[in-house]
Amino acid sequence: MASDLTIDQSDIEKLNDKDKTELRQFFANEEHRSRIQSQTHELTSICWKKCITPRSGGGALDKTEQSCLANCVDRFMDANLATMKHLASMRQQ
Amino acid sequence: MDSDSVKKTIIKQALQATNTANARTLIENINEKCFERCVPKPGSSLSSSEQTCLTSCMEKYMAAWNEVNATYIRRIQQEIGNQSNM
Repeated sequence: MASDLTIDQSDIEKLNDKDKTELRQFFANEEHRSRIQSQTHELTSICWKKCITPRSGGGALDKTEQSCLANCVDRFMDANLATMKHLASMRQQ
Repeated sequence: MDSDSVKKTIIKQALQATNTANARTLIENINEKCFERCVPKPGSSLSSSEQTCLTSCMEKYMAAWNEVNATYIRRIQQEIGNQSNM
């Protein structure tokens, strides 16, 4: 299968300008997507500990858990922003 | 290969790599959290209640991941909106 071939330097040189631009855009988007995904992994791990009790049933999330998770993410972001703001004000002193 | 198929191959391989890495991290986290939760005292084998717990814990973790992801993306979009209003 052609798609399983490995790409080497001579293949890269075949890329025309239009495809190069497209690839740059693709990688910029992918980097963004990756960053969001890895932040989601971290947040899920943090908020799981706070919102999902050992006794809660399995399968789907119940309403309480769902809103706890959403609040957890939002307050984490608030805390993050508050830290940044305070840091900025400390630097100005 | 022409330019277009080189491009498509690169994109396909890159997507495969990031998706695999994402799945691996998810599985690692599920194992960690659900093992802690479902197997508090490891015995000589997994009991059937431990296995049931692991399955439902896994489903729950994935649901939590999706909820967190949706909230996080909504929040980022909101922050971007706030910035451009300034």
